[in-house]
Amino acid sequence: MQFFGGSEISPSPPAPTASGNNAHMMYVFNRNGICLLYREWNRPLRTLSAQEDHKLMFGLLFSLKSLTAKMDPTSVEKGNLGVPQLPGQGCSFHSFRTNTYKLSFMETPSGIKIILVTHPRAGDLREPLKYIYNLYVEYAVKNPLYTPGTPIKCELFNTTLDQYVRGLG
Amino acid sequence: MGKEVSESCVESLLTEIVSLYGTRFYANKPELAARRIEAIGYQVGHQLSERYTMERPRFSDHLEAIKFICKDFWSELFKKQIDNLKTNHRGTFVLQDNRFRWLSHISIDPSPENSGSTQDPSAVAENKAAEAASMHLYFPCGIIRGALSNLGIPCAVSADISNLPACEFLSFSALN
Repeated sequence: MQFFGGSEISPSPPAPTASGNNAHMMYVFNRNGICLLYREWNRPLRTLSAQEDHKLMFGLLFSLKSLTAKMDPTSVEKGNLGVPQLPGQGCSFHSFRTNTYKLSFMETPSGIKIILVTHPRAGDLREPLKYIYNLYVEYAVKNPLYTPGTPIKCELFNTTLDQYVRGLG
Repeated sequence: MGKEVSESCVESLLTEIVSLYGTRFYANKPELAARRIEAIGYQVGHQLSERYTMERPRFSDHLEAIKFICKDFWSELFKKQIDNLKTNHRGTFVLQDNRFRWLSHISIDPSPENSGSTQDPSAVAENKAAEAASMHLYFPCGIIRGALSNLGIPCAVSADISNLPACEFLSFSALN
């Protein structure tokens, strides 16, 4: 929690604006590519099987991170890929947008990657992603019944997450 | 009261104690693991009650001691007081905490595993949560037992988590 400031789950999450399902889906991967969580709220189009979908997503992000670091015109030294960095340190990719959706991404120093796919007019989701990471720490990592590195099956985490995402603008 | 310690640290330590005693030291003997953990809690409660009653005069009767546990002792440990205290005036006390801090992060797998079960799925899920969480209750029960016996009330303490995250601790002592 000391990376991101604030104690516990911050008592006032970023103010929700509209109600309803604005988020389409969410993935959480760990550093080894294991998909810890896949939540879907609104996904009419599905082209691949779940396995392939997860692998594609993980591979895509890995390549995107690498590409964006290498193409950085401002950094003086060579980009150090694979070194743990705080979100925002070094050159870090955080979102891309198409005409039909926006994908927001955050990677923590421990290698946990959180991906949130929302409607294209969503604003900067870096703060909400940090809040979701706090939820992960509180209800999944600190849950005595959860084994790190396995898919997350914690009821409290799922319900708080659903509640929070529904409240996002 | 002076020094502080990280709460995440304490909670992780307690989780590991339960996991270690349950799976390595006394694998397949959960009653023995429970007794060991409760004994550790007893020592801790004993010492903590000594520390937190340093500047106080002696308690006039059992009820005063229990009220101390519910208010000052619980506040030192969990930053809140016991929400509800009941007694039958014959040695039994029920301490109810509506949101027990050490159980606030625990939750279970919501997916139904056995589809052919005759029980209502929500009842099965509740049972599993209760079973898993019950191992984590022996330590706080031991703390209460240690604290009370140091204050002159030998007793037995058990816990009831029929509605998480609320938790009830029952203390049975011989005479009032």
